[in-house]
Amino acid sequence: MDTDPAPTPKVQVQFVTRHADIAVPPAPILVPTNLKRYGLSQIINHLLDTPTPVPFDFLAAGAFLRSSLDEYLTQHGLSAESVVTLEYVRAVVPPKFRAAFQHDDWVSSVNTLSADGDAPLILSGSYDGIARVWNISGQVVAEASGHTAAIKAAKWTPNGAGIVTAGMDRTLRLWSCDPESSAITPLAELLGHKSTVTHLAVDPRSTHILSASSDSTIGLWSTTPATPPPPPPSSLLPPKPSKKRKTTSTTTTIPRYGALALLTGHTGPASAVEFDGKDATVAYSAGWDHTIRTWDLATHRLVDTRTTQHPVASMCVLPSLSLLAAGSTARHITLHDPRAGASEVAAGVLRGHTNCVAALCAGGEWMMASAGHDGTVRVWDVRAVGSGSVFVVRREGGGGEGVTGREKVFAVEWSGVGIVSGGEDRRVQINETPTGAEGVEPKL
Amino acid sequence: NIDPESLLPKLPSPQDLRPFPTTTATVYRGHVGRVRTLSCDPSGIWLATGGDDGTVRVWEILTGREVWKIQVGEDGEAVNVVKWRPGKEAAVLAAATGDDVFLIHPPIFDPETESATKDLLSAGWGYAEIVKKDPLKKEPPAKWTKPTSTQQDSGIAVIITTKHTVKHISWHRRGDYFATVSPEGQNRAVAIHQLSKHNSQSPFRKSRGIIQRVEFHPFRPHLFVATQRYIRVYDLAKQELLKTLQPGSRWISSFDIHPGGDNLIVGAYDKRLLWHDMDLSTKPYKTMRYHQKAIRGVKYHQGGLPLFCSASDDGQIQIFHGRVYGDLMENALIVPLKVLRGHKVEKSLGVLDVEWHSRECWLFSAGADGTARLWN
Ligand SMILES: [Mg+2]
Repeated sequence: MDTDPAPTPKVQVQFVTRHADIAVPPAPILVPTNLKRYGLSQIINHLLDTPTPVPFDFLAAGAFLRSSLDEYLTQHGLSAESVVTLEYVRAVVPPKFRAAFQHDDWVSSVNTLSADGDAPLILSGSYDGIARVWNISGQVVAEASGHTAAIKAAKWTPNGAGIVTAGMDRTLRLWSCDPESSAITPLAELLGHKSTVTHLAVDPRSTHILSASSDSTIGLWSTTPATPPPPPPSSLLPPKPSKKRKTTSTTTTIPRYGALALLTGHTGPASAVEFDGKDATVAYSAGWDHTIRTWDLATHRLVDTRTTQHPVASMCVLPSLSLLAAGSTARHITLHDPRAGASEVAAGVLRGHTNCVAALCAGGEWMMASAGHDGTVRVWDVRAVGSGSVFVVRREGGGGEGVTGREKVFAVEWSGVGIVSGGEDRRVQINETPTGAEGVEPKL
Repeated sequence: NIDPESLLPKLPSPQDLRPFPTTTATVYRGHVGRVRTLSCDPSGIWLATGGDDGTVRVWEILTGREVWKIQVGEDGEAVNVVKWRPGKEAAVLAAATGDDVFLIHPPIFDPETESATKDLLSAGWGYAEIVKKDPLKKEPPAKWTKPTSTQQDSGIAVIITTKHTVKHISWHRRGDYFATVSPEGQNRAVAIHQLSKHNSQSPFRKSRGIIQRVEFHPFRPHLFVATQRYIRVYDLAKQELLKTLQPGSRWISSFDIHPGGDNLIVGAYDKRLLWHDMDLSTKPYKTMRYHQKAIRGVKYHQGGLPLFCSASDDGQIQIFHGRVYGDLMENALIVPLKVLRGHKVEKSLGVLDVEWHSRECWLFSAGADGTARLWN
């Protein structure tokens, strides 16, 4: 007896998205269960009537759909009668290597200035104690030299008016910067920390800088010498330089200021500090004491303490989600909701790194980049916590002397330029991420 | 027939006893030749190492960056011991090479700490002068001298010269005293040095075997002295022998006292790892033979985690859970957790020293392969 081929099983799917410009009608559609990402992407393209097909990715149950719908139903114990909700997003294309800027020593920090209309400038901090401003062609346009030990953090101050640097000599330094004339001039030395300054945050809405230090305090500093902050305690002044030490004539005349406040609460080295994305009087810090702390900068009070399982080495704010991401020395990234009353329990764990997560940076609403001592930069989508990293960006070793391509990465920033990272291989590496793909907006 | 395994109490699974170190997090590269010794500073952010190249080096612990080094061993003499002084108000690193102990303040600390350190290390010069002039005083086991101005500029504050090669240093918790061991020194093998008075004394008049190690009790005024076969416990205040532990191994290499004060682990060149409960007996409560080669170092975590480890010439470090109960009736729970492999064996030597971080479940190891490692 002749039999017709069995009809392809189908399941009702409701397609949803968080991006209004690619929304489709909400009514569920019956689709064949043997479809995978590609077939589903064709459906969305058809519904949107796109002139040229755009690749989409699909999220279900906190992970990217990487199997057929059929396998997904089986894995999750769902019957073919259920309605599957699939969230779709524009597929992200892999970051493409664009350039590497060679340094003399390890690169500890990177920060891009993407001022309106101007070509972007990349600021790097290095273990040789020098902060450098690079143009996108890889030329050093200015250098800030004065730290007596490794720089661990370097940031542009608001509107690119200047830069702030800090590091192992326990000082923060403010510099004015005029890239046109290659002039970097020291403005002030900020004293107060008793150990390595590990991280800096600059608030574009105020004149405040925050610092995290291995001395376990969080420093709050002013960028405006017009309203002089207090002088530093005399006990913290460095000893007079001996005759042998090389000193430039300028370093001796730089004014020294103390902190507006040194916030105490951490019980171990502080590793990261950030301003809240929406409220400039709120700050977050993290440290080796396993905690993430919330501070009220108006009153200098510790507002909240969240305890995690591991020492925290890095942190970033995901502003549109009101979440904090924390990178541990034990290779995890955890997501936390710092709002009062929110669950103490981490809102998600991102696994993939095989060593300390040294730096984190948000990229667009849902994406994030992380830098690890495992020699990788990883790209994550926080909607797909279960999927691991979306991309792994490796070092473009280039066969340099003693460089294996597995060197630790210490810094990462996701800016309009793309993913900018720096590390033990003595390079700043730039990987392009097509803008618009996932709404990655340049940020200042 | 009864399966003997079934009679053993079920041990908890290692997964339920986390955290404990499982992998290499950082490799510290720079030493030429063996790294013999290491010590993590009281603030928990700097690692000091010493090795066959005669250098003492200080490293940023997570990045593995060498931030400072000094050559103290002359004519290729190895640095056998580095040990930070306890306490955060000053930053003193004791380093031994040959018969010299250098008290060093690496120039990586803030001016306040540096000045407190210099004061602490120089306050005793006056006392030393008085003692010298006392004709009744017998000759001390060590001489305290001021370093040359070049040495002072490079961070050396005091040089203490003993009469035999110093192989081990143990600080008293308050940081005013430290003990040195020179196994060849016979009745002067052990010396106790006092920072505030620049004074060194030999606590024992006669030799009772070749002394390997000494350690201070974590809170009682007791000194533990290991010879090749025995560990004797002395009351320093009453000047009397309290007890003699008999681990049963032929040659003790190292031992450590549990922070609770009543338990002790012993490592031996004959591969044995022994746990003593001093309340129970002078014989070991447990004998473990998991290493293929000599054990060179054993350490308890001193910062609140129920962990201990042994390091061996087989290139391995073995990690154990070791929980001590307050209840006298309940014996310590010992569970093997993990074998850490990574150090290469060079000329039959493997892992030469180990130390836990003061708070985290991080372990540092020094290898004959020229590297030190951080495990987490
Ligand atoms: Mg007991």
